[in-house]
Amino acid sequence: MWKRRTAYILLLPLAGVTVLLTLACGSVLAQSLGYVPAFGLTRLTLDYYWAALSKPEFFPALLVSLRTALLSAAAASVLGTGLCAALVRRGARGMAVHLVRLPILVPHTVTALFAILLLGQTGLLARTAYFLGIISDFSQFPQLLFTPGYGGTILAYLWKEVPFVAYFTLALMAGVSSTLGEAAENLGASPLRAFFTVTLPLSLPAVSQAFLIIFLFAFGGYELPLLLGATSPKALPVYAHLAYMSPELRQRPAAMALYGVILLLSAAMAALYGILTRRLLRRIGGGV
Amino acid sequence: MKKLLAFILALGMVLALAACSGKDGQPASLSSASWEEIVDAAKGTTVTFYGWGGDEDRNNWLASVAAPYMKEHYDITLEVVGMNIDEILAKLAGEKEAGSASGSIDMIWINGENFYSAKENGLLYGAFLDKLPNTEAYIDTQDPETLNDFCMPIEGYEAPYGKAQLVLYNDSAVTPETPSSAQELLSYCQQYPGRVTYPALPDFTGSAFVRNIIYEICGWEQFQTMEADYDTVKSAVEPALDYLRSLNPYLWNQGRTFPDSSTTVDAMFADGELVMGMSYSPYGVSVGIENGVYTDTTRTFLFENGTIGNTNYMSIAFNAPNPAGAMVVINAMISAQLQLSQYEKLRNLPVVSPEKLSAEEKAAFDAVDMGEGVLSQDELLAHRLPEMPAKLVPVIEEIWLNEVVGK
Amino acid sequence: MRKKSLFSRLALGTAAACILLPVCLLVFWSVTARWSWPSLLPERWSLRTLRELFFGSQNLWQLLGSSVALGGAAAAVSTAIGLFAARAVALYDFPGKSLVRFAWLLPLLVPGPVFAVGIHLTLLRIGLADTISGVLLVHVTASLPYSAAILTDVTAALGGGLEEQAALLGANPVQAFFAGSLPGLMPGILSSLSMSFILSYSQYFTTLIVGGGRVKTLALTLVPYIQGGDRSLASSYALAFTGSALLVFVVFEAFIHRGRKGDGGI
Repeated sequence: MWKRRTAYILLLPLAGVTVLLTLACGSVLAQSLGYVPAFGLTRLTLDYYWAALSKPEFFPALLVSLRTALLSAAAASVLGTGLCAALVRRGARGMAVHLVRLPILVPHTVTALFAILLLGQTGLLARTAYFLGIISDFSQFPQLLFTPGYGGTILAYLWKEVPFVAYFTLALMAGVSSTLGEAAENLGASPLRAFFTVTLPLSLPAVSQAFLIIFLFAFGGYELPLLLGATSPKALPVYAHLAYMSPELRQRPAAMALYGVILLLSAAMAALYGILTRRLLRRIGGGV
Repeated sequence: MKKLLAFILALGMVLALAACSGKDGQPASLSSASWEEIVDAAKGTTVTFYGWGGDEDRNNWLASVAAPYMKEHYDITLEVVGMNIDEILAKLAGEKEAGSASGSIDMIWINGENFYSAKENGLLYGAFLDKLPNTEAYIDTQDPETLNDFCMPIEGYEAPYGKAQLVLYNDSAVTPETPSSAQELLSYCQQYPGRVTYPALPDFTGSAFVRNIIYEICGWEQFQTMEADYDTVKSAVEPALDYLRSLNPYLWNQGRTFPDSSTTVDAMFADGELVMGMSYSPYGVSVGIENGVYTDTTRTFLFENGTIGNTNYMSIAFNAPNPAGAMVVINAMISAQLQLSQYEKLRNLPVVSPEKLSAEEKAAFDAVDMGEGVLSQDELLAHRLPEMPAKLVPVIEEIWLNEVVGK
Repeated sequence: MRKKSLFSRLALGTAAACILLPVCLLVFWSVTARWSWPSLLPERWSLRTLRELFFGSQNLWQLLGSSVALGGAAAAVSTAIGLFAARAVALYDFPGKSLVRFAWLLPLLVPGPVFAVGIHLTLLRIGLADTISGVLLVHVTASLPYSAAILTDVTAALGGGLEEQAALLGANPVQAFFAGSLPGLMPGILSSLSMSFILSYSQYFTTLIVGGGRVKTLALTLVPYIQGGDRSLASSYALAFTGSALLVFVVFEAFIHRGRKGDGGI
């Protein structure tokens, strides 16, 4: 019994923050239901949600966002775990760690600037190709950015998020590897085998959390798809952002309804993900 | 850990107290106060000025010219805060909703739809323009741009700050032509396929460019009184939509995608990816040439039938902690002296009326060297077209997205 | 062994190249006036933006000071709260545990503007808007998911065994924690501190709305310049931003390292 009480006491500060956050969301989601007394709107209605869902651009936008988020999160998790393993192998310290932390520090808008300066049709890659005589004009360089496939957006996310996964997993993997992984090697397992049978499964909780974080972020973030994406179809958060930016304050509920949709979808996907990974991890034997 | 926490909490509290104190006093009733009383009440106070902060030249001017001027003449500390207008409105809307009587914003840099929306929703202080002595002294009070902002009556809720006008620019060393009409622009695009584009709406400049094309094709008069109804507007602008669609195949990316903002267009022009650009700052080219961003052969041009011009303004927030101080600062901003300084340092079209200036002041304005590659003030004003009603702007933006992109 | 280190060398080399190439571009752009197609090097150089960075309208040193102080405070608070929560979840059994894990993911689920606008409304009502404490609270909220996740993983991996041993030897719970678990948790605590620091250091919209522009940070100043489209000035500010944060880490870690000589870890 005292143990349970200790647990609850330990959770008090978190609960405080959560209550604050819930209140915050509540007051904004009330706006999405048409409740903005400051502007004379007081009738509760679901109309704004129906209006958001019935727009013809809604489903293409949802698809764009889901696809971008899924591809970014999956590729970043795989590559990031690899990078993390390499870091652990090198002692997980020094310059390499600072280097990996660098992209996490770079704001998304600057990452977009990188993508344009590097991958754009007049970017450094195109110039190098021109210099080497591979192309004779920048219009021959493939259009990587601003395409409806959102390839540029995904690449920019990878630049930031592969190091994020590596860094996020590092503390756990370094700990696991230095104790259990090395024990396995001392017992005769090859480094590769020790990694895949011991270190990796035990590090999976961190990797899977990182996957979820990136997925949610890429699903809800507007900056990179706005700066590197196509004019049409736009990503879902870009629509929400543009609606929110609109000066017409009485249209605020429409923007908030779009954010409400994003919030509900994110929550649903997080829940689904939680169920799936728990099953998966239990099967592998990691356990959360 | 506990000690650390206690220390941080204590630190936070101290800082919070420091941030809370120093609220400025204000006179009991401003509406009946004389100008002298207002200036007196503003003495020794702080005025916050919220507005777009992305222009380092303007930030520098505010910090090195405007702020010292206010300190010296009125003993007012001018504090400039860089914040986008949508964020300012979001903040004010929140304060309105929470019933906050005294906020943190005194003055706002604003115009157009944002002004309309802020005024409509009670986020502004009220009429103050007539109170300022410099309104009478320097501003043409019958000028349509003093009376209306995007066709919306101003009613004294904001005072002019500077004038903007849409201009086009290209590099004479790359393309000798300067298309002076929509038709010439089409053949220009055909000659340089893939090298011309405009910012995706709702970017401010892209939106003005499309409205300008609509003026070119459909004339401007009919829009001054038009109903903001999707179908009405769409049938009125149909010929312009046809034109824009006929432009698409020759645009950058075949008009399937447009750059996200005017700053991206400027950058693409500087890199040589585009041969032409458009800007809301009529003297932006000369600044670009001086900074070495543009080549020396870059020049500004206009459509023969004119381009859209508008004014940007200063207003006061509904819950301004120091409205008296804000009025004093705004009054100073529309003086000949600070307008001349803005014209000189920022190359911002002035809002003072030439007829109200003394011969000396006039000569000072005329003596300003506007730099290379730009048009004279007279030429710009001779080709200036009025804005559309604010309510039409979002409608046109939606029509453009549905009917022009990728079509 | 040899194969593995070849792999790690290759992986780290590629990663370093991919990370550093754009950053080098940033260095070039900060002193570039014009760099048009197809030149491989800038055509016109200029020190204008560096001049504006150090002697312009913004007081760079003051901005750096307040950003670092705010980031440090947010990191400490968020790590402390995260550590408490992590211990509860990893070492105790109680009903509603999965709800807790969902609760700390909440800041990630909430779209940015909803978070900022909603929390602004809430803080206005309790009188914390436009104050540093309010901004600190928001930064802590934003970095909590990361702290909690990192610390739960390491706490669970370490288990409660060492502490129990210490308790059996007669230590009180606090002593048991410091002697038993803390050394093992250190890598996680350090990661959590750095991650929260980064999160706080790069907050823009929340700082803007809740701080009302009164609380000034480097990120707050940086973003308008990036949006302003002056690529050279944006590059200078981005370099100052990234460089200063890196410097904080180098100093912080050198400090920690001296405190725990030869103690391995991160």
